[in-house]
Amino acid sequence: MLGKIFGTFCAFALFFGTICGRLPEVAAAIPDGASKAVQVTLTLLGMMCLWSGVMQVLTDAGIIKKISRIFALFLRHVFPKAYQTGEGYEEICATLSANFLGIGNAATPFALSAMKKMQMHNPQPEIAENEQITLAVLSTASLTLVPANLLALRRAADSQNPFSIMIPVWITSLCCVSFALLLTSFLRIRERFSRTRASKRR
Amino acid sequence: MIDIISALPMPLILAAVGVIFLFGKSNRFDSFLLGAKQGLQTAVQLLPTLCALIVGVSMLNASGAVEFLSKLLSPLVNAIGVPADILPLLLTRPFSGSASTASFVELLERVGPDSFAGLCASVIFATSDTMVYIISVYFSSVGIKHSRSALPIATAVMLFCIFFSCFLCRVWFF
Repeated sequence: MLGKIFGTFCAFALFFGTICGRLPEVAAAIPDGASKAVQVTLTLLGMMCLWSGVMQVLTDAGIIKKISRIFALFLRHVFPKAYQTGEGYEEICATLSANFLGIGNAATPFALSAMKKMQMHNPQPEIAENEQITLAVLSTASLTLVPANLLALRRAADSQNPFSIMIPVWITSLCCVSFALLLTSFLRIRERFSRTRASKRR
Repeated sequence: MIDIISALPMPLILAAVGVIFLFGKSNRFDSFLLGAKQGLQTAVQLLPTLCALIVGVSMLNASGAVEFLSKLLSPLVNAIGVPADILPLLLTRPFSGSASTASFVELLERVGPDSFAGLCASVIFATSDTMVYIISVYFSSVGIKHSRSALPIATAVMLFCIFFSCFLCRVWFF
């Protein structure tokens, strides 16, 4: 995937560079870009260090588990099957609460193990089940409390007020999650509808 | 007031950690060090990928391709309220975190973090995720071949996120 992205970038850059007569600028961008990568890494380095450390403390002190339990109260309506069977429900809540706190690295292993457990109750193992789709969609539209990396990058770009986007970020992510929940609820309705139709036919 | 609310969560979380250090179990600082070390590793492992992708994005910008694309599509995207400057971010965001970080950094440099496009890009960067990557990893990990409506739904949510972010930034900041 990354190779293809890089390849596309290079092809476009060379094509347009030749047409617009900007090949010298393109060439100069190569060493510039390489050293800028180091700058960006340095910007993110401190913040990622601090934030991962903070999250580890909160995890070990059991606070993430408590937040996960609050999530569990709401999520039983979104994942009724996982809640009833108990398979993967805890992991689903852990995934979404890790996303909520902005620790995406911790979310992925939870999500994968939730997928595996839901797969055990999947009647057609090659076809995704509704709740698996819901989990994947919710992970892509995750609710975020503190976007730590974003704040570090804005600060490094000399923003007057790097925090000014916080409330828009909260509102937007709430709306995106609601929209995602709305769309995935259609899946459940359709499933129920086709099931009643099938039983009527019988 | 809004500034205070916006700035509050991060110091509050750190204060909570401080309270845990003071009154919790004695080895909590070791937890911090463990986590910070992992964060360090993640950040350092990011460098090789970022190196290639930032070079790519820089070349693309220098060649005039981004400018051309923005000019070409700006009547279209401006009509729907999305600044044309954020197109490179939108095109890379679904596929890769590093590529979208590279586009985002370039964008902040080009238009400034507090411009309309910079603010829209910031909100989109925080609220969207690498959906194609996430969906392919999640489903392939359990051997699912047909992800059914996962990708269409995620795409719809991402489009909603883009429009909503730009709309909200226009209302909120200007």
